Amino acid sequence: MATYDSLFSALGLKDWCAKGKEDGPMSMADLLAKAKGKDAEPESLWDVPFPSMDALNDSCAAFPQSRELTKGLEEGFLAVKDNLSLVLDPLTQPLSWALDGALYGMLNTPWWIIIPIMLAVVFLVTKSWKLVLFVGVSICLLAFIDYYEYAMQTLAIIFVCAFLCVLFGVPIGIAMSRSDTLQRLTIPVLDMLQTLPPFVYLIPLIFLFSVTESKLYGIAIILYAIVPVVRLTNLGIRLVDKDVIEAADAFGMTPRQKLFKVQIPLALPNIMAGVNQTIMMSLAMVVIASLVSAPGLGVLVLRGIRNLELGVGLVAGLGIVILAVVLDRVTKASLARINATQKQ
Amino acid sequence: MANDIKISIKNLYKIFGPTPDVALEYVKRGMNKADLLDQQNHVLGLRDINVDILSGKITVIMGLSGSGKSTLIRHLNRLIEPTAGEIRLDGKNVLDLNEEELRQLRREQMSMVFQKFALLPHKTVLENAGMALNIRGSKVADFESEAVKWLARVGLEGNENQFPHQLSGGMQQRVGIARALVSNSPVMLMDEAFSALDPLIRSDMQDLLLELQGELQKTIVFITHDLDEALKLSDHLVILKDGEVVQQGDPQDILLNPNDPYIVAFINDINRARVLRVRSIMSRDVDKDTDYAGDLSEKDNLETVLSLSGGDTDKVFRVVRNGEAVGSLCMKALTRALVPSSD
Repeated sequence: MATYDSLFSALGLKDWCAKGKEDGPMSMADLLAKAKGKDAEPESLWDVPFPSMDALNDSCAAFPQSRELTKGLEEGFLAVKDNLSLVLDPLTQPLSWALDGALYGMLNTPWWIIIPIMLAVVFLVTKSWKLVLFVGVSICLLAFIDYYEYAMQTLAIIFVCAFLCVLFGVPIGIAMSRSDTLQRLTIPVLDMLQTLPPFVYLIPLIFLFSVTESKLYGIAIILYAIVPVVRLTNLGIRLVDKDVIEAADAFGMTPRQKLFKVQIPLALPNIMAGVNQTIMMSLAMVVIASLVSAPGLGVLVLRGIRNLELGVGLVAGLGIVILAVVLDRVTKASLARINATQKQ
Repeated sequence: MANDIKISIKNLYKIFGPTPDVALEYVKRGMNKADLLDQQNHVLGLRDINVDILSGKITVIMGLSGSGKSTLIRHLNRLIEPTAGEIRLDGKNVLDLNEEELRQLRREQMSMVFQKFALLPHKTVLENAGMALNIRGSKVADFESEAVKWLARVGLEGNENQFPHQLSGGMQQRVGIARALVSNSPVMLMDEAFSALDPLIRSDMQDLLLELQGELQKTIVFITHDLDEALKLSDHLVILKDGEVVQQGDPQDILLNPNDPYIVAFINDINRARVLRVRSIMSRDVDKDTDYAGDLSEKDNLETVLSLSGGDTDKVFRVVRNGEAVGSLCMKALTRALVPSSD
């Protein structure tokens, strides 16, 4: 006799319930109750359970249990998995190549070529000797404590993923800024991507792709990190001064000219802020992605946790902080240079 | 060419709201602005506007904020689509143009100067000035000489490579004017072009505009909320109130014969002596025997005459055009004209 028996009899569903009477798998709670031998519980108002799936199942065996929901989801996913990966696999294969290529390139080029190239790039985008010095010292420090290889792996992954984020994110943002419908549809997706715990991304991906493939973590990083650049591109273009847009119209610009000569240049500070955020978020994700075999400093952090190697974990963590500061300063400095030419 | 109609606006209506066509019927039946908003939830932008804009003249459209003046000027190049009516440029209905033709019109026929300048902040002054030509596909090298020429003409020699934010408001608006001039369009639309500037700079800019107009004879449509500015610049003055034309015509005429209490209230505050000109109040008869105190040009304003007379109200002056006497002005008539008519 369970709490909601009367409900089902009142609805006249007794027969339907009886049909489902079979010994389904028992839940842990059922087993415990049985062991204690108190199947018929005292009916006090205080103990009335919420009419949840499990509570209703107690009264009516035909009613599904809650674990059948998760099981159904899993089975559904497994059912489409093969077809899905048939489509997704070739589509995402270039990502694997790009990641593997970048990793190979970064690790097999001697350090005395890589470091000067990086410093030259830093100088090109920031035009600041102070930053070049800072970046140089940081990288040399990491190299000195023999973390060069790990740091370069992490950087290689970030470069590839952040580049792809910008490549896809900016056009998506532009499309969103031009259509309110698209914006309404896209924003919930972006919200979900941003709030979904990073670990959760990994679960379906593990089912879809082999853990030995680099695109597995590549996709996780891109999904997680693409959000800010999309959002800020959309926002940036929508925030472009209406008067300037009107002037562009009044002088007869085509929509294309307007986009490339006015909207994108004026939205550039916002877009760059989005790129900065995207890079920082890919760094955060690349550490978590070490759980699914992403190489780099994250592996060391994971080793620190798994083997309780306190020193390795802490130093690797510190290395990540240094990389984060370097990436942030460099992108912020280039952002400041853009802002300087855009004052109104 | 002098008195050709360049742009003709006929029976133009603009109603803002979800179903303007329905609301238009009510408006045509005579519903006023407040009722339309109250009962139909539509905003009446413009009602039955009929204005002829003469070629080579400055037409000033004046009104307070909310009177629909900025809405009206944006109809001329269809930045705003009308609800009903016609706009003819050189006899051709602008509303019939397709997208491409409209773009050509905006590129070649009409240029615009904005209240907030609306320059491209990431481009240099030179590139901003050459914007119209750049849009038509010219490279910097192609439009440089033209842009430099007009920048110099508006007083911005040597500022070519600066960015707009490095210039003061007045200088930025000079770039705005140069930009419109470089486009070499016959019509210039100026939307409160000088309203954001401080009074001294504004006066300079007005002088600059009049000077340029003397040379170039463009068809200028100028929007302002400032009556002094309107009277200083206009060849033809259109006064808007709540989306309707209250009075239009020669500014001197409007000043001497206002036909609406609204306009009377407007003109009460202005310095009539500076605005009124001899030709508006002189009498046409020239008496050979009278002893004239001196000669005046018909374009002189009354302030000049007052200082010439030294305050003596008995004097009578002769008015001359090209050396020929065309009328006379006695100081008593002048003094009367200085007081707004109360009838």
